[in-house]
Amino acid sequence: MSTISEAIGFNLIVIGPTLALVATALVLLFCTITIETSDFVKKTITFGGILLTIFTVFLKFGLFLTDGISSYFTEKILIDEFSLFGNVLIALILLFNFSPIWNTSNQLKDKTTEAIILALMSASGFMLMVDSESFMMLFIGLEIGSISLYALAGINRGDLLSNEAALKYFLLGSLASCVLVYGVALVYISLSISGFYDTAIAIPYIGAGNVPLTTFIGFLFIIVGLLFKVAAAPFQSWAPDVYQGSPTGYVGYMASVAKVASFLVIARLCIVSLRAVMENFELFFLAVIIISIFVGSFFATVQSDMKRLIAYSGVIQSGFILSGIVSGVNGTSASLFYITAYTIQLIGIFTIFTIISGKLSSDFSIENLSGLFVENKFLTICFSIFMLGLAGIPLTSGFISKFILITNLWSYESYVLVVILMLSTVAGFYFYLRPIWVAAIDKPETPVERITLKRSQILSLSALSFATIYFGLLPNSLINISRWVIQNYL
Amino acid sequence: MSILIYTLMLFPLIGSLIIFTMPKSRSELFRPIAIFLSIIPFGLCLYLFTNSQSKGSFVNIHTIDWIKSYGISLTFGISGMSLLLLFLTAVLMLLSFLSVSEKYSESKGFIGSILVLHFAVNGVFLSGDLLSLFIFFEALLIPMYFLMGIWGGENRRYATIKFIIYTVFGSVFIFIGTVYAGVISYGVTGRLALDFATLSSLTFTTEQSRVLFLMFTFGFLIKVPIFPLHTWLPDAHVEAPTAGSILLAGVLLKVGAYGILRVSIPFFTEGFLEYKFLIAVLSVIGIIYGAIVAIAQIDIKRLIAYSSVSHMGFVMLGISAGNYLSLEGAIIQMVNHGLTTGALFMLVGFLYERRHTRRISDFGGIKTTMPKYAAIFLFCSFASIGLPGLNGFVGEFMILMGSFATYKVLSGIGAFGVVLAAIYMLWAYQRMFTGEISIQENKELVDLDSKEMISVVPLLVLMLFIGIYPSFIEGYVTQDALLISEIIDIFSGRLN
Repeated sequence: MSTISEAIGFNLIVIGPTLALVATALVLLFCTITIETSDFVKKTITFGGILLTIFTVFLKFGLFLTDGISSYFTEKILIDEFSLFGNVLIALILLFNFSPIWNTSNQLKDKTTEAIILALMSASGFMLMVDSESFMMLFIGLEIGSISLYALAGINRGDLLSNEAALKYFLLGSLASCVLVYGVALVYISLSISGFYDTAIAIPYIGAGNVPLTTFIGFLFIIVGLLFKVAAAPFQSWAPDVYQGSPTGYVGYMASVAKVASFLVIARLCIVSLRAVMENFELFFLAVIIISIFVGSFFATVQSDMKRLIAYSGVIQSGFILSGIVSGVNGTSASLFYITAYTIQLIGIFTIFTIISGKLSSDFSIENLSGLFVENKFLTICFSIFMLGLAGIPLTSGFISKFILITNLWSYESYVLVVILMLSTVAGFYFYLRPIWVAAIDKPETPVERITLKRSQILSLSALSFATIYFGLLPNSLINISRWVIQNYL
Repeated sequence: MSILIYTLMLFPLIGSLIIFTMPKSRSELFRPIAIFLSIIPFGLCLYLFTNSQSKGSFVNIHTIDWIKSYGISLTFGISGMSLLLLFLTAVLMLLSFLSVSEKYSESKGFIGSILVLHFAVNGVFLSGDLLSLFIFFEALLIPMYFLMGIWGGENRRYATIKFIIYTVFGSVFIFIGTVYAGVISYGVTGRLALDFATLSSLTFTTEQSRVLFLMFTFGFLIKVPIFPLHTWLPDAHVEAPTAGSILLAGVLLKVGAYGILRVSIPFFTEGFLEYKFLIAVLSVIGIIYGAIVAIAQIDIKRLIAYSSVSHMGFVMLGISAGNYLSLEGAIIQMVNHGLTTGALFMLVGFLYERRHTRRISDFGGIKTTMPKYAAIFLFCSFASIGLPGLNGFVGEFMILMGSFATYKVLSGIGAFGVVLAAIYMLWAYQRMFTGEISIQENKELVDLDSKEMISVVPLLVLMLFIGIYPSFIEGYVTQDALLISEIIDIFSGRLN
């Protein structure tokens, strides 16, 4: 047994986070369908499960320290810096979205724990996705993660917009998955490789000039499938509708977790696998970045729905992150910083939206923010910090991430890109400051709803806004982490 | 020394935190605390005047390692020019706290925002590297956004957004310039060293120097503002609350000119030599255009706003002439303009609180009901016109003297700005203060009370002081002006 398990690289620690999440989900499912369990017990189980996940991530760090970059389960699963970074981020995303997801679930018509089960399942899928060595595992992880997200989007069954969001997300998402799996197949038939590190070895071995066109098309398809998940234009069309239609409390989770996982996989593809042939993809990425910036900036300025605005702002941010990833190793480290900072702000904003909307509103007009300052100053300050962070005002993490990203781009001599990205921040100032204006400056015409904050909400919002300011003032720690991730490829 | 500088910079920020955490029920304490909080930076500035280090050109006082893996550090230091502008800021802050009416002084947000603004402005004038300069330059926007947005006039939304978008559009280029300079510096020093000492030791190629000069100068010129880029200014001034206008005109416009003097010219001199004539032409257009448009205004606040365009045109003319005398004059004129325009905006604010109108035609003959006010307004008008014996004369005379050596025709045309200034200021004075009172409400106007007198008279004293004893202020300007003019001479000598 032991020799066999050694031979196939059987190691439970590697898939520890996934196992912990699935186990928690199963326990919750069992509790829901068999015995009557109080909400408190369910919450404790969930929270315990998330903490267990974080603990197993730590165990993985231990394994990484002894083994280094290595693959397990017959080269299906691997540990490298990207996967560890992704595991930590996904676990933290889950932790910080715990309270919005529960709060929204409590307001659902038929009280249900479905949502949290789906969230845990999708997190397990995305964990698997960032851990995958083989492209098939990548596909499986992506599917486990995404299918749960489709269901999450449509969980508010009575709401038309929610149904629309789920259907749209499902149809377009499946299409993207098809493209991705077709890409995997093309890569396999043309080069007989099916893994990230295999590719990294194979391409230099046969020489960058001898790589067949089919392989390139295959990789292009894989990248397109992933770009769909990060909502980079022209693959962004689902994002505004899904953000708008889905129950508010879940959007922060849905948006951030898919983005983090997909960006890490794209980064690994670009830095590790396709390093030798990246210049063949440059034009494609450049087009995607520029279209993302233009589409995002243009549509974000005219939105009156906050969730749609954040969706289009996400398109712009995807352009920013992507521009770093395709600009060499240092640019990737800047992008990793960027995506962490962005995720923090995104979760913060959606936590606030969950609190404000107070009901399962699928329509979240910018006017809903009116009078927020009168009602709750703490929320307004947090909201302003997150929005200013997205805009990239100095003294927030948004500025640092833009600064190091642009510096890397400039040293990579992408001057045009820098000018386009920076001009989009001018537009950004317009549409990021407008909600602040409505929230903090406009006097409300109708009396505003009473907002009472739970202790968990205050705690998580304080932590997120503290992180936004902290990484803006003292970014050293996060920059060092993001440089640690790419250190082997410098 | 470094403790002094950090206190000067961070004290307003800590002050704003104190104000923000105070309970709302003690709102009557906000003003006294704010005044106390701005007396300390004022005192520090006075103390720094006695320090020998602060008389020279820029000296680095302290460096913080900020982002280690990129080798980015933040540097802070001081020079004579910085000190003068810091002093101007501290004076205007103190006086605007004194002058604000109850409506504003009992609002946490208002007092707090002004203190944050003070912090950011001090940061700009104290920063010794491009990155911290940019950070504070951009951080200025947040308090201004709230000041104009919450306490502004009718059309504040339009004015605020316009102000923000204009400034951000400019600062994008400053940002790219900073990155560009950083990357060049990385190639030489192996780290992203952006401090002024490193930058002055770098040699930029002609191409780099031109591009960088354009980037930085474009961003700063929007803030100055120079002629075609000035359109945000009248709207912003008219819509901002009185204290906001005072600080906008008195301090924020100086940030742009300061940036050009501190960054654009000394480090990217070849670019400056290439484009200085263009800047001079635009400044002269600004002088004349601003003055002519000011004549046509029916709103007194807008009139003063356009007079700012004209006066800052003089500053830019002096800077673009680039010789010792004109540079000195430009720096002195920056301080002068801050004092005069600050005082005028404050006076207009007093009148607006009484009558809730700023239309010149709504007044007339109010000299009889408000004699003290009329006298002070006339004094400030004369200072603004540049009457000998008052501060305006010193700066404008030096600028015109200096720039005449370089641009004979342009400075000749620019000199007409002084004549036009006399027309718009005195004509406005005539329409508002002299003659018979025709409107009933104006008969019941109350003259300035002691609080208002206290807040405006110090500015008059400073105007007179600079007017009759300019050597004092000149002593702090000399080294900076000398250094910049020497750099320009060296480069133009090499080029010709």
